This record gives sequence, structure tokens and C-alpha cells, in this order.
Amino acid sequence: MFTQNPQTVGIEELTGTYVFDLRTCNRTLAFNRFFWNMIRPKYRQAFLDDEEAAMTVASLSDEEKALVRARDWLGIVQYGVNFFVLEKWARVVRRTNLEVYAIMRGETLEEFMQTRAVPHAT
Amino acid sequence: MARIIGGIGTSHVPTIGVAYDKGRQADPVWAPLFDGYKPVAEWLAEKKPDVLLFFYNDHASTMFFDLYPTFALGIGDRFPIADEGAGLRDLPQIRGNVDFQAHIGESLVNDEFDLAFFQNKPIDHGIASPLPLMWPHEPDWPGVVVPIAVNVLQYPLPTGRRCYRLGQAVRRAIESYPEDLSVVVVGTGGLSHQIHGERAGYNDTDWDMEFLEQLCDTPEKLLHLRHADYVRLGGAESVEQIMWLAMRGALPDRLTEIHRNYYLMTTTAMTVVVYEEAGERAQPSAASTSVEA
Repeated sequence: MFTQNPQTVGIEELTGTYVFDLRTCNRTLAFNRFFWNMIRPKYRQAFLDDEEAAMTVASLSDEEKALVRARDWLGIVQYGVNFFVLEKWARVVRRTNLEVYAIMRGETLEEFMQTRAVPHAT
Repeated sequence: MARIIGGIGTSHVPTIGVAYDKGRQADPVWAPLFDGYKPVAEWLAEKKPDVLLFFYNDHASTMFFDLYPTFALGIGDRFPIADEGAGLRDLPQIRGNVDFQAHIGESLVNDEFDLAFFQNKPIDHGIASPLPLMWPHEPDWPGVVVPIAVNVLQYPLPTGRRCYRLGQAVRRAIESYPEDLSVVVVGTGGLSHQIHGERAGYNDTDWDMEFLEQLCDTPEKLLHLRHADYVRLGGAESVEQIMWLAMRGALPDRLTEIHRNYYLMTTTAMTVVVYEEAGERAQPSAASTSVEA
């Protein structure tokens, strides 16, 4: 039976915000671990050498593999990956966090930066 | 007896570390951030604390979700700086004091805060992003760090009130250590920002200013806030401001804010604030404040 954590009541009403909790983590642990492993040079190199093989070794499901192939940053977050492991993979595929934020908002980097206090920041 | 001589609240944005490593201190885009840390570094150089005690979070760098502690205290003479996917940084390993860390751990557990403990683990940008802006590190750091990691990643998180009470217990732990060590407590994270989902890029400077005012003068008013309130008011990842509550809990009731810098450049309201016990300074007009948003 599902019970709601009183501390998080109301977050679901905020559009574009996803709670990473114990249930989510239980469902997505292997996928989160796949991204987390990118803190180690050996895993970074294995991914760069052969993406498909690296995903298979990590026991990703077909749906998870498709999200990675598509570089579907928002889809990966919505699926239940914590952003703080996702950003480690962003370094490996040479995306800055600002680029990833823009993609999740459905904007180009240029459009996103125009909404920022210092638009020419890098 | 060890004693707390002040507190610091600071953001721990990873790109601060990247900009620091690339030597962008004078770059017009970054100067408002780096210049805002100079008074902090000067204050620390003047006060010469032996210890910085950090409430920080590990960003799933050293600890993974297969065993993610709510509170964890690091024990060690040295802590490596974590590789977070982009390689190693050119910083000396963070220094520690095992006897002092162990005393704090024993005091907290005996005070009913049942922490986890980690040894020989790297520390990520939760500490390593702001630390070199505040403390010189060539050839080595001038003092030791007590790292207390707080879970702000995987719900259920500790409540804001629990973090505040942890800070109070940390004060008792520090003040029960017989050696004359001077300690500055540091709370990291925030202020407003959201970095995941379609709501990424959310900020609210008005709320940030209100939070800082209440944190200094009436922190008990913040203790009723739920995690969902922080998420709504300041963006999802601003919930890490519960670590500023832990810092506040370790400080005296009446505080003077002696420095504040607030720079909302792109996504995170990068903030640093220095606190002393009220009455410590003869001239509060010496306070320096810079706000850019």
C-alpha cells in the first residue's frame, strides 16, 4: 500500500519537478549505477569505446538503452534517474550542465541563456 | 576547550571549482563571485581557525544509493578530492584531525544522533568547490576539516528541524573537547536553484533574501518549513538549504552578519555569508554587502 511522505506533499503539483525517493531508486538502481560508474576512468573509457556493450554489461533494459541512445536527458530524469549521477555522464559525452538544463526545458542553449541574469556567462 | 568562533554559509556550485581551476578569477563574468569570497578569505586569515566543520552533501560521488546515509561523519588525516567524471583537480588532499573527528562522532552518537561514519573516502564539490576560495592551499591547507555529510538527494531527507538540532548537538560536541581549538562551522548549498526537469532554471531572489534574514534573526521561524516548501519557494535543489539550518543550529542565538555576497549568474543564486556572535565586533558598519541578481 502506498503511503505519502508528508514532507513531499505538494511537489507533484509543481510542473517539471520529480521526486527521487526510495521507491524510485528501488526501480531504477541499475540505471542510476550505470551513470554513477562514470566517475571511474575505466567505465568512461568502456562507454566511449563501445556504448552498446557498456549498456549490456550494466544490464540496462531496452527502454533504458533507448533513452541513452537518444540522449534523452529529460526522459532519463522522468524515468527516475537522479540528476547528480546524470551530470557525471554529461561530462563523458561533453555536454555542459547549462546545455542539459536548456534541453530539459525544451530550449536551445541560446534561448535558455537569454532568460539568465548574465546571458553571456560560460 | 574547543569553541566556535563564527559561521559561514556558502553555495557549492561545481562550476565555481571549474572556473577556479581555469584561473577565471578576474573574468568579468566570474569576478562578482570570486571578489565576494575575498572578505571571507580575509576574515579566515584574521581569525585563523584551526578547524572548518562542514555540513555538506555528497553528490553521489563517494556514496551511492545502494547505501546512502542520512548523516555521515568523515574520519581521517587526509581526504582525497573526488573525480566526478571530469578527472582529478590540482588541489592538495583535505586535511583532518582524527581525534577531534572521533570525539565529535562519539559525542553526537551519545547525544542520540546515530550517524554513519566513513573513512578513506573522497570528498566532492560539496566542500571542494568553495574551500579553495576561502582558504589558501599552497603548499597545503592551513587547518583541518570535519566533514558531516547530509542526505539531500534521496527522499526521505532529514527535516529542517532535525538538521538544526544536529547543529545544536555539534556545538555541544565541540564545546566538550578539552583542547583549545577554534572552529568555524560552514553550511553549504543553495540558495535558490533547480537543475532537473522542465522547471530547471527556477530562482526567487526575494525568497533568498527572506531566507537569509530569517536564518540570521529568527531561525526558529524556518523550522516549520517542509521539504516541499523549499522546493516550491526556491526550486527543487534549494532544499539543500537545510544544511544552512544545521550551521545555524551550532551558532549562538544572536548573530551579526558581517559579510554577504549574492550573485545569481545563470542557474544558482551563488551566495556566501559570514556570521559572528552579536557584539563580537565594535563596528558593525564594517559589514560588507554586495548583491547582484
